[in-house]
This record gives sequence, structure tokens and C-alpha cells, in this order.
Amino acid sequence: MGGLMAIIYGGLAIMPLFVGGVDYMMHILIMILIWAVVASCWDLIMGFAGIFSFGQVAFFVIGAYASAIVSNKFGIPPFFSIFIAGGIAAILGVLVGLPCLRLKGAYVALVTFAVHMILEPFLKGHMGRAIGTGGSRGILTIPPINIFGYAFTPDNKVAVFYLTLVLAVICSVIILMVIRSFWGTAFLALKDSEDFSASLGVSAFKYKLAVFALTSFLTGMVGGFYAHYVGMLSTRMLGIDLFVTLMIMLVIGGIGQFPGAILGAIVTVTLNEMLSPLGPYRPLILGGLVVVLVLLLPDGVIGLLRRIFGGKRKTREAEA
Amino acid sequence: MKKLVSLILTITAALALAVPAMAADTIKVGVPLAMTGAYTDTGDNYWKGIKIAIDEINASGGLLGKQLEPVRFDTQEFAPERVMQGADYLCGKMKVDSVHAGWAGWGQDVRAYGKYTAPFFADDGSQSAVDVFNQDPKKYSNIYQLTDTDINQASSMFRVLMALPYEYPNKKVAIITADDAWGTGVGETLAKNFKKEGWKVALHEEVPYGTREWGPILTRIRKAKPAIIHLEIVSAQEVITFFRQFMESPTKSILSYGYSIVPREVVQTMGTEADGIIGEVPTAMPTPIAPTPEAQAWVENFKKIWGHQPQAGSWAAYSGVKAWAAAVEAVGDAKDHAAVCKYISTKGYKGETGWWKWDESNVMRAGGDVPIGHYQVQGGELVTIFTDPPVKPYKDFKFQTPRWCK
Repeated sequence: MGGLMAIIYGGLAIMPLFVGGVDYMMHILIMILIWAVVASCWDLIMGFAGIFSFGQVAFFVIGAYASAIVSNKFGIPPFFSIFIAGGIAAILGVLVGLPCLRLKGAYVALVTFAVHMILEPFLKGHMGRAIGTGGSRGILTIPPINIFGYAFTPDNKVAVFYLTLVLAVICSVIILMVIRSFWGTAFLALKDSEDFSASLGVSAFKYKLAVFALTSFLTGMVGGFYAHYVGMLSTRMLGIDLFVTLMIMLVIGGIGQFPGAILGAIVTVTLNEMLSPLGPYRPLILGGLVVVLVLLLPDGVIGLLRRIFGGKRKTREAEA
Repeated sequence: MKKLVSLILTITAALALAVPAMAADTIKVGVPLAMTGAYTDTGDNYWKGIKIAIDEINASGGLLGKQLEPVRFDTQEFAPERVMQGADYLCGKMKVDSVHAGWAGWGQDVRAYGKYTAPFFADDGSQSAVDVFNQDPKKYSNIYQLTDTDINQASSMFRVLMALPYEYPNKKVAIITADDAWGTGVGETLAKNFKKEGWKVALHEEVPYGTREWGPILTRIRKAKPAIIHLEIVSAQEVITFFRQFMESPTKSILSYGYSIVPREVVQTMGTEADGIIGEVPTAMPTPIAPTPEAQAWVENFKKIWGHQPQAGSWAAYSGVKAWAAAVEAVGDAKDHAAVCKYISTKGYKGETGWWKWDESNVMRAGGDVPIGHYQVQGGELVTIFTDPPVKPYKDFKFQTPRWCK
């Protein structure tokens, strides 16, 4: 897991050497890193903890708006406001998680997706406007992250890329550590058999709530980072397009196959961009590809890599 | 390990080759429009006008002897990072010499394209886009709006509603708008104007796109019996379903659809059933008879190519391309973006209906040779009955009292 993650991020880290001068390509790479974290968080809660949460995009948007409002209204530097945004998303994540503890499967999906559905009218409505969301117009002026006087603006994408890379690596390492720890084992145990794991002393309440808090915090923080990178926000992020794209990332990477979500983000964003000139045929081809991939690679790209390298290792062992 | 490295290299190569190579002896024109998602129909309207302009220029020998080459970008649903990506792709990577959009992000586009120099034409019709421009007019001097703002368009709708040769049975209005920036902007301005004139806003609802069941709202409308119902949702299914459900038990209310009259599907689907509905189009090419012979020729050409009357946006987008091309001809260098922008801002453009002049905020304000057109569906087609400002009846076309108001 860790080795593969290092290779993926290492590969991405050298990309500016080839495309550093092309803003468009750097923007794609930055978005790959941002979506990689969001998809990985989604994978942690859904793939590992077995909670069918459909609220990840909502927590991302909550984080984005929270950080923008906190920095705009209270003058808090964006470097700190993204952590505050993560905290706000985590608190809301716990609040959403509490009723979900009493639910299972599709019902959890319904409750969490309801958060997604409620968010848009809230942000656009009177209550949203009152807290500074800008209503339907959105927020059009968000300051960039500034560290020791250096502003990470969209005009300097290489610098933003490396800052995003640092954030993505930190988030991924946290997710990896959680998966490898007792917590990760507890998540898997609860996913496989909640009753049996409870009989062994694994508290569903504690771990499920913890995973809601952690994934919401990381997703919200990355949402905050996104807001200060693009410098403007609108509720158009809550469209079905992003939701489906993130889901495709998970499916392509392999659900519960960390760091598959990171690979899924790379493949999906790249495919999406390559197919973009095809206009209306893009979603059609992308959808078709997903169907084929699900049928041929049920464990995603990670499953394929495992099959290739696992197969080779077995052959070597047999030869030895 | 080798296989993994080759996989990463393949993805890298795919990223690098994502954009097809373009010929060098052409002038590239960026066209960021919605090709997928909820705004596909409006994107298509703009593309029809842009394509006619590009084809015309290419057929007449090109611009400065070079053929124009459109480079399209799917803006999808205008998520902020997508708008930024469009600017980076078209201006940063493809090095286009002008960008012709339609609805383009309502302010987000001003920021995204304002960091480049290529002239950018949008049809945002949005005060928030103008507000962003006014924060730094020098920085955003390459941004041009092809239509007036939502506030001014809504004020125009109000003026025409008050000028209709029709005696309203009461002073009550119902306003229903989409919950997007356009809809809320129009709704708030209309409500303010009606209240100022002593009207009662009996109902003011904001609804999401996708609303098809109008029962609860219609119940309130039937109870209030407003003299005017204004519906502002630029999507055919919503306004068609509203009309059909309203007609099950209509009140004696003038149905004002504002800009929602523009999706071609509205008149195409309903035909004469829609007779009586009124609406508006900014930067309008009045139809069925255009104001000048040149404009009439343009309308005929559009109908020949696309098989129907021009929709909103087509002519505005067409004129944007032509205005830019005229400036490039005058300057003599498509790459001298600053000179091209200066020319557009100071000289304007002589189009089919007359002169286009942008104001100090680079907005094509309604009036003069490019007014807001106010239409009524008559005989299953859009007929211009007024132009504004100032409110003037258009040619011999008259407002007809809708059948449900008689």
C-alpha cells in the first residue's frame, strides 16, 4: 500500500518537470490531487468501514464555503481557515453520523444523500445569504492561501501544485495509518459482521462516529483548500456531474482497495479530459467504460495490478 | 515494477496528448460552451450563431488571409474549477486569439479569462459579472458582455408589462423564478418594481430546475387570481408543464415568461397552444420581420441553415465574433490583443441592425440599434410586439389578449 502510494505521488511530483509551463495541465494535476483525497476519504468510509455514505461531495462543499466565509468575514488567514473548515465539516459529519448509527445500508445512503440535497437550497436561500454564501451568485472573491508572505494564487500553478501535493500526501498517510491501525481492523470487522465484532468488544458507535468525523474533517479541509485555490465558489459543485465522477474514481480505483482511489482519480480525470472534445459523447463513453471496467475488473485498477504482480510473485515462488 | 512505471508513463503521455495538434496557419477561436449537462440547449443556441460567423468569414477568404479555427471546450455546468480550466485550456494552452462564450459563469468567467489578454465575449446578463469587472476594469479590459444585466432586463420586462394595451383586472402579481443567479436577480427586481407601482406581490417563489409538478403553486395562484404571472425558468420542460397545468383551470392572468420564452422547444412543442404567452430577449434580433434589409437577410440565412427562427443568444454570439473580426481587420494583427480590445471599446461594431457600442464596463447596454425585444407567441411563433428602451411598439405587430383572459 505505502510503496504504491509513494510511487504514485512520486510520479506526480515530477510531472511539473514536463508540463510545468502549461497552466491547463497543472490545473488538471492539482484537481487530480484534490479529488484523490476526497475519493480516498469516501473509500475509507464506504470501502473500509462499509458505511454507504453519499455525503462526501456535501462535506467538500461545506468545507469550501466554510473556509471562504471564515476568511472573508472574520479576516482569518486561509492557512488557518481551512483547518477551521475541516473542523466545521467534522462536527456536521458527526451530527449526520449519529442518526446513521441506527441505520444500515441503503438507509444510510438516503440520509447522507439528503444532506447533499438540502445543502444547495440552504446555500442559495435566505439562511445561506445571511451567513455569507452569496446565495445563487456564490462567492466571487476568496483570498489565496498565503504562507510567510508568499501567495499561492492560480497564476502560479506549480507552487499551488506542490502545496496540494503536500496536503494530499499528509491526508493519504493519515488514511493509510488509520487503515493499518487497530481502527482499520475494527472498520473491517464491523463491515464484515457487526454482531460478531461487537461480541469481541468493538464499539460500532465509537468507530463509526470516528470515521464520519475523520473523513468529514479531511474532505472539508480539502474543500477549503479548493476554495482558496480557485478563488470563487458556486453551488454548481453540487451538480450530479461531480458526484458521479467521484463515484467513477472509486469504481475504477477499486472500492476498499486503498490507494486505488488515488489511481482512480488519475485515470478518471485524465479520461474525462481526453474525452472532453467529444462533447455529448463524453458521458456516454465514460459510462460505457465504467460498465466494462466493473465487469472485467471488479476490484478496479488495484485489483489488476495485484493480479499482475501477485501472479508474477507466485510464478517466481513456484520456480524457486 | 517495470509494468507500473510504464503504466505511469502511459498516463503521462495520454495527458500530454489529450489535446490534438492544431494547424499553425490558422487563427484559433475559443468556444467554451455547455456541451453536456443542464445548459446544453443554451450552449447549442450560441454555437449556431458562432458557427455561422466563422463559416462566413472562412468562406470569404478568412481573417487577414487566415482561416478561423474554432477550438471548443465543454464548460459542463460551470463549476468554478471547470470555468478556470476552460480559460487555462483555451487561452493558456491553445493560445486562442479570441473567446466566444454564451452563459459563461456569471462572474467566475470574468476572473478566469481576465488574467489572459484575448478578447472574451460572454452573454452572462448578470450584474454580478459586471461587479467583478468594475473591481478592476484595467485588468478585465478584455472582457465584453453581449447583453445587458439581469436588473436592466427585468426593469424592461416591467416597463413593457405596464405598457401593454390591456386593462388589468387587479394589481396583483405572482412571480416564480428559478433559484439560480439569473432567476433570483430578475425576480427581486420585478418584485421591487411592482411594489413601487403599488402592486401586491401575491406570491414570490423560487423553485429549482427540474420542477414539473406545479399543483401547490397553482392552487395558491388560483386563490389569489393575480393579473400577471411572471415565470422565469430558462428550461423548456418546466415552462411547458407549468403552462399545461395552468391551462387546466386558468385564471385571467397575463402569462409573462421573460427570458424563459427562448428555449426553442417551447414554441416547437406547443405551437399555437402557446399563443398569448409573452417574453423577452436581450440583444434581440426582432422577428419575424427584422428591422433592416441586412438583418432580414441574416434571419433568412439562419433559417436556411438551421431550419427555424433564430433563438436568443445566436445573434448576440454571432455579432461577438463579427465585432472581434472587424477589430482584427482594422488593427491588422490578431495577436495584438490590447489593440484589438482598444478598437472594440472605442470604435464599436456596425452590425446588421446598426451600431454596437459597449459602455465603460464593457457591457452592451440595451437600446439604440440593439434593443431588448419583447415577444408574444402568435400563430405558434415568436412575434416581436415591443422593443425597449424606450418602450416602442414594433412595426405593425400588436399585442393580442390571450384566449384565457377574454
